[in-house]
Amino acid sequence: MADTILQVPYGTRDVLPGEAVARRQMEDKICSLFALWGYDEVATPTFEYLDTFAGMGQPGAGAFKFFDRKDNILMLRTDMTTPIARMVATRMRKDESVKRLSYRAQLFRYEEAQAGRQCEFTQCGIEMMGAAGAAADAEVIALAVSTLMEAGLKDFNITLGHMEFINGLIEAATLTEEQAKDIKHCLIRRNAAGLENVVEAAKIPEQLALIFKELLFLHGGIALLEDMQKRVLSRRCWNALENLREIYELAKAYGVERYLSFDLGLTRSLDYYTGMLFEGYAAGMGYSLIGGGRYDNMMQRFGKPCPATGFALGIDRIALTLERQGMQFAEQPETLFVAYGEGKTAEGIRAACALRKDGKRVKLADRAMTETEMQEAVQENHYSTWKYIR
Amino acid sequence: MEEYITIALPKGKLFKRSLDLLGKVGYSAEGVSENSRKLVIANEETKVRFIITKTVDLPTYVEYGAADIGIIGKDVLLEEQKDVYELLDLGFGKCRLMMAVPEAKKRPELKDYAHLRVATKYPRCAREYFDKLGIQMEIVKLNGSIELGPLIGLSELIVDIVETGTTIKENKLMEVDSIFTSTARLIANPVSFKLKFERLHKLVVDLRAVLAAEKGDKKAK
Repeated sequence: MADTILQVPYGTRDVLPGEAVARRQMEDKICSLFALWGYDEVATPTFEYLDTFAGMGQPGAGAFKFFDRKDNILMLRTDMTTPIARMVATRMRKDESVKRLSYRAQLFRYEEAQAGRQCEFTQCGIEMMGAAGAAADAEVIALAVSTLMEAGLKDFNITLGHMEFINGLIEAATLTEEQAKDIKHCLIRRNAAGLENVVEAAKIPEQLALIFKELLFLHGGIALLEDMQKRVLSRRCWNALENLREIYELAKAYGVERYLSFDLGLTRSLDYYTGMLFEGYAAGMGYSLIGGGRYDNMMQRFGKPCPATGFALGIDRIALTLERQGMQFAEQPETLFVAYGEGKTAEGIRAACALRKDGKRVKLADRAMTETEMQEAVQENHYSTWKYIR
Repeated sequence: MEEYITIALPKGKLFKRSLDLLGKVGYSAEGVSENSRKLVIANEETKVRFIITKTVDLPTYVEYGAADIGIIGKDVLLEEQKDVYELLDLGFGKCRLMMAVPEAKKRPELKDYAHLRVATKYPRCAREYFDKLGIQMEIVKLNGSIELGPLIGLSELIVDIVETGTTIKENKLMEVDSIFTSTARLIANPVSFKLKFERLHKLVVDLRAVLAAEKGDKKAK
C-alpha cells in the first residue's frame, strides 16, 4: 500500500458531517445577504491559463500549476477578482451598466498551512464594477460589516487605508523604483524597523521622512484624517484622505461607522489595489478575516477599462473564529427514523417517501428489524422521532 | 476590564537587556528570570504577562498570537520567516552572520568555494546567500558548536553568527565574507497590533524615548 493512500495532500482537509452543514448554512446566509443587496451570483472555472493571472504583479509563485494537452500552463485560481474581471471584460463586454456580482468558490494557494490558513480554502465575496465614486466604496464596506454580522461575529474591527495616500507619499519623496519597492515591501511585511532604515538611506525631506517613519503607526478614528490633511503637502495624499472621509460619512448613513477605523500604512499583498482598501480582524485570529478595496486598473488589462471595487471573506477563518470565540454552530435538524418489520420493506419505503414529501428529514432503516432493535438504533443515533411499520 | 499583554522573552544573551529595557517603560513582573520554573509570570496590576521561550521558538509564539509581542534577534527572524510585525530596532545584541574557512584553506575568490560542505545553524539564510552568489553548496545543519565542523572534517566552511570573532580566531578560522548584521527587534502579532494598538504604540514610543536618551547619555560621556 502506498504511503499516501490514507493521507490528504498538504494544506487540505476533510469536512465531516455537522461541520459541513454548519459551514454550508453560514455560506447560504452570506450569499442570501449578497442577493438582498442586489448582487448576482456568478461562477468561473476552477482553473485558468496562467497568463490570465500573470501581470498585475501577481506571481504564479503561490499557485498550483499544471499543463493541458497543448502544453499551455494552467493554474488553479488563487483569487476570484481576476477571473471575474476577465469574465466581465469578455462575456459582458457590451454591458455598460454597473455590475454587482457575487460568488462562493474554492481557491488554491501554496501556503504554509496553519489552522485557518490552508492551501485549499473557501471564499465568498462581491465585486462592483463600473462605479467609481465614494458611494460604491461605502456600499462595499457596509456590506462587508453586514456580512460579518450575518455570519455571527460580534467583536470585530474593519480598518481602512488608501493606496493613493501611500503612492502620493512615494511620489512626493521622488524615490527611485528600487527604493519605492523596498518601502512597499516593508509596509506589507509591517517592518517598521526596516522602513526606518530605508527612509533614512533615501534622504527624504525631513517632514515627509517623519510621516514615512510613522506610517505603520498611523492608526485612529476620523480625527486622524483631519490631522493628516493638515500635515501632508501633496495634493494626491490630501485627495486620498478626503476620499476616505467621504466614504466614512456615507458609511455613517449605513450605521456601520462604529466598526471602522483607519490605518494609513495598510497595504495588501495582492498589489492590484488603486484606492481605498480595507481588512477586517477579530480577536483570537492571527490574520485578517475579510479584505478588499478598489482596483481601477485591473479591467484595463483585459481590454475594458472600468473602475471596480469589492471584497472577499474566508469562510474557513470565520468558522474558526466563531469556534474560538466560543459560539456554537446550529444544531443538526430533527431526524425521523423509519423502521419496518420482517416482510414490510416496501411499506417502509412508501412511508418514508410520503414523509419526505411532507418535508420531513427521514432516515430509513437499511433492513427489517424488531421494535426493540429500532429503539436501540434511535438511542444510539439520537434520532428525535421514529415510526415503526408493522 | 483591560486585556493582558503577553510578552515573549528569549532565553540567552538578549534576555537581561530586554527585561531591563521593558522595566524602564513600566513593563515588569515579580520573579521574571531566565531560569524561572514558572512558565507564565503575570503582573495583575499592570496587566502584563511574561513567557520565556527558547530563542528559535519565539517568533512562532508571536506568529500564532500566543504572545502579543516579543524581543528577538533579526538573525532569527530572517531564518524563521514568520508572519510577524517588526516594530522597532532596539539596537542591542549586535552580531553578524558570516562565512569562515580554516586559515589554511582560504581561496582567492568567493566563487571558488562552490560545491563544498557548509556547516551552519542558519540553513535558510546560508542557502539564500549562496543562491545570490550563484554557487551551489552542500548545507549541513547543526544546532551548535558550528566551528567544530571544519576541525574534524565534517565540512569545509561554516556560516555562523559572531559577535567579536574571538571563537572563530581561536579555532584557526578566518572570516571571508559578512552576510548581514543583526540587532534585537521588538516584534508583534499582526492582529494583536491592531486590537491592542493604543498600548503597543505607546510602548514603541516609550522605548524609542528610552533608547534615544541612552544614546544621548553615551555621547555625553
